[in-house]
Amino acid sequence: MKRMIRRAACVALAVLSLGLGSAVAAGEAVDLKPFVANYASLVHASYADTEARARQLQTAVAAFLAAPSEGTLAQARSAWLDARVAYGQTECFRFYGGPIDGVDAAGVEGPETRLNAWPLNEAHIDYVAGDAAAGLVQKADLPLSRESLMANNMTHDEADVATGFHAVEFLLWGQDPGLDGAGQRPASDFAAGDAVRGRRRLYLQLTTAMIVDDLAAMTQAWSPDVADNYRAEFLGLDPAVATGHILSGLATLCGFEMAAERMATALDSGDPEDEQSCFSDNTHNDFIYNALGVRNVCVGSYGAQSGVGLLAVLQQADPALAGKLAAQLDATDRLVAGIPVPFDAVLASPEDSVERAKVQAVVEALMVQTDLLRDVGKALGVTVIVAAE
Amino acid sequence: MKTTRYSRSLVVTLVVIAALYVVTHAEPPAAQPADRTRPGGDLTTDVQHAGAYGQSAPNLPTAKLLEFTAGNRVFTTNWVTAPASVKSFDGLGPLFNRVSCSACHLRDGRGQPPVSPEAEMESMLVRLSVPGEDAHGGPLGHPVYGGQLQDRAILGVPPEGRCSVSYSPRTVTLADGTAVELRVPTYTFVDLQYGPLGEDILYSPRVAPSVFGLGLLEAIPEAMILAHADPDDRDGDGISGRPNRVWHTEQQATVLGRFGWKANAADLREQAAGAANGDIGLTTTVNPQQNVGTGQTAAAEAYAQEGPELSEKFLDRLVFYTRTLAVPAARNTDDEQVLRGRNAFQAANCQACHVESYRTGHDPAVPQLANQTIFPYTDLLLHDMGEGLADGRPDFAATGREWRTPPLWGVGLQETVSGHTTFLHDGRARNLTEAILWHDGEAAASREAFAQMSAAERAALIAFLNSL
Repeated sequence: MKRMIRRAACVALAVLSLGLGSAVAAGEAVDLKPFVANYASLVHASYADTEARARQLQTAVAAFLAAPSEGTLAQARSAWLDARVAYGQTECFRFYGGPIDGVDAAGVEGPETRLNAWPLNEAHIDYVAGDAAAGLVQKADLPLSRESLMANNMTHDEADVATGFHAVEFLLWGQDPGLDGAGQRPASDFAAGDAVRGRRRLYLQLTTAMIVDDLAAMTQAWSPDVADNYRAEFLGLDPAVATGHILSGLATLCGFEMAAERMATALDSGDPEDEQSCFSDNTHNDFIYNALGVRNVCVGSYGAQSGVGLLAVLQQADPALAGKLAAQLDATDRLVAGIPVPFDAVLASPEDSVERAKVQAVVEALMVQTDLLRDVGKALGVTVIVAAE
Repeated sequence: MKTTRYSRSLVVTLVVIAALYVVTHAEPPAAQPADRTRPGGDLTTDVQHAGAYGQSAPNLPTAKLLEFTAGNRVFTTNWVTAPASVKSFDGLGPLFNRVSCSACHLRDGRGQPPVSPEAEMESMLVRLSVPGEDAHGGPLGHPVYGGQLQDRAILGVPPEGRCSVSYSPRTVTLADGTAVELRVPTYTFVDLQYGPLGEDILYSPRVAPSVFGLGLLEAIPEAMILAHADPDDRDGDGISGRPNRVWHTEQQATVLGRFGWKANAADLREQAAGAANGDIGLTTTVNPQQNVGTGQTAAAEAYAQEGPELSEKFLDRLVFYTRTLAVPAARNTDDEQVLRGRNAFQAANCQACHVESYRTGHDPAVPQLANQTIFPYTDLLLHDMGEGLADGRPDFAATGREWRTPPLWGVGLQETVSGHTTFLHDGRARNLTEAILWHDGEAAASREAFAQMSAAERAALIAFLNSL
């Protein structure tokens, strides 16, 4: 079946080359192996960096809880933002059944929804405007533990998120009541001494530790130094299947997660807080680092890790398409960089505002990029699946 | 009209470009041989995690992902009391069951009954009526409480009351001596805030069904469904199969019913608008009136809004979403036990009602749904399921003993997605074995065949169902 697809793609390429005069050597399969191998190393480097930054967040949270002040709170917030820089670049490793969101042989699902779920109904976690007694933090009869948090995570409502980056974000920032700046939770919320604050401190410690452990598991799953992990399985796949996974992750992040879920739907819903990092007003950076993650795979590098990227293999199969993809990445990045800050002000702006038009332009660019990535799949003879969820 | 002459070379060029476009952009041909492992045809997803019921059809074009995702937003939105700062999602109630679609259909899956007699219904409701028919042959709503018990309400409005569920055990002994304990539900109405329901009240408790694959069921040509109907059991196999005929609000006509536990909704737009109105308290262009009975109108008027609370735009997206949710791929289909289970399923004649396969029509509501070979395991028809399951509440053509055959695709992933394995209209069966043993009436012979099987054969049949 796969071979048939590849042959069909070769025929299509041959026809294309006849028609457009591009230089494609029909029938000559591109060697995808170096690309797949470098991808695995790049993913490992990305998660290792994210894990390291999450550990810094954990250290900053510990320092904050040891001596709660506006200064130590600001440092914890800064460490959270820093961890998001790296995490955002890993999101293109989702959507193909890999360790972050797939189900392993033992039937255990990856940690993505535990790590990064949103929209988040913050009243499920702690007090909100209009309900001073809300949330698991104040539910005195619930012993707080990793187990009890998981037992109360998205069980009755998908938005009843108890854990992950955005739970920690809400604990560090509090609700964002308006359009002039992020949430303003006081450091005194975490002062030691009374029962509710004690539970809030424990809640923050637990959720931060869970983030660290889940990211450590991702680093291990992709580590070259661990036997029988997902990396080993991935490198054992037919390179065309592995490449299909890689492209499905990229295209789904662009077309579904970024364009549809986080931008178009938010523009459409009329809800100004319909944004991923609504407490910290960091949503624009989520977009920037998601897009950078896609670029990393195309270029083939993350930090010191560098090797064969998607553009390099595509250059062998279809130079014209490689040129188009490279140009589109540039165009998308330019538009993403121009997303107005804060994002909630865009959502609150009138239907025909310049701000909304700027985000709409990003949506359109990401859809073009998604279709280009589908075309890349055809050019390389691999199956690309793009689905919303 | 002015005629334009194109040069021949230009025409040739255009034809070549068009041909190239077809070669490079055409999707792989949909006409594949029937494949039971791909029960949704091209709308099958390989995702097997807790989001397995919530994936978009993989054959949707990129632009349509936006519509699907916007529909998902509507599906998962928690509606709030009007007026609120976000106008697009206010208008909850005044009476309602839950504040969002996904509250009952969590992760697009099936609801379950409450865990104790004291617990509230979280993903289940109780339909109400009194003897007689309404102007269109449908159930005659209770004069005060209307067509269903709404156990929640916005601040300042009393909820209608609560329905409490308790169970008593009933033991069934199989041919090999194995004893299986079923639980027989008893329903009690408590805390009724708008007076007694009356002696002649008819009620039907129903859990929220899963919502994936529905667009494909909607796309089955009506003639194919009617081809399985045998209302007078002319073939003498003891199985009738009757189509429900229900009122279509927008068409103002009586048409074939397909959706709901009694096939009491004609299509997904009617179903979605009806659920929005009855379960969340949202008006739409389909149902512009609040779902309240007489005596509750004061509350409704106090919270009346201009225009539909669920806008036409959002209703369209919601319907698109339910039409294009993919069906999970079958699993372990080559497993030897699963194959034996499939034989046992057929030997017990389960497929007489749980009809395995159809081909969808040429011109469905969404083009990607067309010409798909699907494996839903339902005939979408009504069957007398015996006294044990009877609710005694007619629903259009459905009698108080009839239920629509529910689809079986995806049941093996229910525990992964929904965290439980309860089945049947009111979730009384705690697993598939109990669900099979509740079958009676037209399905009595199939149940008896199951009861006669060896433990290994029964396990194989369950393994087959779990592979779906």
